[in-house]
Amino acid sequence: MEIIRILISELPQFAKGTLIALEVLAGLLALGLVLGLAIALAEIFGNTVVKFFATTLRKFLWAIPQLVLLFLVFYLPFDLNPVCAAIIALGLCSSAFQSQIFRGAILSVQSGQIEAAKAMGLSKPKIIFYIVIPQMIRLSIGPWTNEFSSELKDTSLAYVVGVVEIMRQAKYIIAYTFGNTAAVYLFVGVLYFMLTRIGTYFFYKLEERLWVPGFEKRS
Amino acid sequence: MFRFKKQMAGVLFLFATLFFSSMATAGDLPVYKLGIDAAFPPWTWAEKGEIKGFDWELFQYIGEVEGFKVEAADIPWSAIITALSKGKIDILAGGLSFTCKRDEVIDFALPHWKTDYWTLVKSDSKLNCVTAMSNGANVGAQAGTTGYRWLKEELKDNGVKINIRGYESVELGIKELENGRLDSLHVDSPTARGFIDAKRDVKYICKGLHFDYSAYGVTPGDPHHLIEKINSGIKKAYESGKIEELVRKYLPWASVEPIPYVVDYKKMCSEAK
Repeated sequence: MEIIRILISELPQFAKGTLIALEVLAGLLALGLVLGLAIALAEIFGNTVVKFFATTLRKFLWAIPQLVLLFLVFYLPFDLNPVCAAIIALGLCSSAFQSQIFRGAILSVQSGQIEAAKAMGLSKPKIIFYIVIPQMIRLSIGPWTNEFSSELKDTSLAYVVGVVEIMRQAKYIIAYTFGNTAAVYLFVGVLYFMLTRIGTYFFYKLEERLWVPGFEKRS
Repeated sequence: MFRFKKQMAGVLFLFATLFFSSMATAGDLPVYKLGIDAAFPPWTWAEKGEIKGFDWELFQYIGEVEGFKVEAADIPWSAIITALSKGKIDILAGGLSFTCKRDEVIDFALPHWKTDYWTLVKSDSKLNCVTAMSNGANVGAQAGTTGYRWLKEELKDNGVKINIRGYESVELGIKELENGRLDSLHVDSPTARGFIDAKRDVKYICKGLHFDYSAYGVTPGDPHHLIEKINSGIKKAYESGKIEELVRKYLPWASVEPIPYVVDYKKMCSEAK
C-alpha cells in the first residue's frame, strides 16, 4: 500500500504537528484556567455589578462557536501570529466552560466550612484562598479532564487560521496524493485517540491521588 | 575581583551577540511574507516538511534576481485573500486567478500563467460536453473559484438548466462524482490533471471552455513596491528559460505559451462591465 509508505515517511511532520497542537492546547487551557477561575470567583463572590459583567461575558463566550471566534480573533487589527490567535480564541471559549466547572466545585464546598471560617475571623480573601480553592482544585480535576480532552480535539480547528497542526498535515498529504482521504483521516483519528487516552490516563491518576474523602470518585 | 571579571565578560558577550545579530539582519535582504496554500499542487504544496511547487520555485528565482527573500506563510485558501487584503501577508502566490472582483480588494502583478478549465465526469459516464452541463445536470465546482462563477454567470444566469453545487475542496467534489451524486465537475486544468494522473475514477470531456489569468497578488496599495519587482522578475524568468524549465517540471502535459506580458486589467474589467 502506497499510502502507508507515505504516512510513514511523513511521521516526522505529524510529530511536529502534534507538538504544535500540544502547544496550542497548553496555551488555551492556561488562558481558560485563569480567566475561567476569575469568572467563577466573580460570579460567586462578586457584588452585583461584578456578577453581572462576569455572567454576561461567560454567556457571550459560551454562545459563540469556536470557528467564529477563531476567525474573529485572527482578523483583529493586531499582528497576531496564527498560533497566538488560536490560543486566544480557543482559550476564551474554554474559559466559559472552565468557569462552570470551577463554579460547581466551589459551590460543593459545604457552607458550614465557610461559616466556621467566618466564625474564626478569617477575611473573605483568606477564606477563598485557604478554604475554598484547595478543595475546589481537587473536586474539579474530574470534570476538568473532560474539558482537557474536548479542547485537545478542538485544537484541530486551528488549521483554518493557518496553524500547521495535525489536521493541516493531513490535508497536505491528501492534496499531493490526490486521494487516500479515508486512510489519512483514519490515521489522524488514531493519533488523536492516542493523545486523548494518554492525557486522560494521567489526569485519572491525579484525581485518584487527590480525591477528597467523603466525595464520590471515579471507580 | 574574580566576580567582576566574570560579570564584565558576561556583559561583553551579551553586547557582542546583540551587535552581531543586528549586523546580520541589517546586511540581509528584505524578507517578505509569501502567503501560500500549501495544499494546492502543482502550484504550492508541502511534502515531508518541504515546500515545493511551481510558484514557490519561481519566487525563489524572482527573489534572487530582484534582491529580496521570501518566507512562506501557509494559510488555507478560504482565508488567504482576506489575509492579504488585511496585510497579514505581503504576497499571495499559488494558482490565484485574476478577477475584477478580487482586483477591488488586492493588487495584482502581471499574469504568469493562463489556466483553462476542464469538465470532469465519471470514467464510465456517457455524458458529453453539452449534456454534462445542461438538462438539469448536477454540476459541481469549488466554491469561490472562477469556475464556479463561470457556471453561474455564463450558464445558469443565461437560462441553462443546471444545479450548481459548491464544494469546499475539489477532493470533495471528486468523491461526489465517483459516488454518482454529481454528473460533472468543473475544475482548473492543473488540479484536474492531478486527479486523473492519480488514477481516480474520472475523465475529462471538455477543455478550454474559458480561461483565467493566474497572477500574484500583493497587499492593496503595494506598500513595498513589489509589483514592479515581480513583473520584472517574471520577465527575466521567461527570457532566461526558467519558466519553460518549471513548466516542464511541474506541468509536463502543458505547452509553454508565450506569456502575455501586458494585460491592461483596468481595460479588461471596464469592458467586462
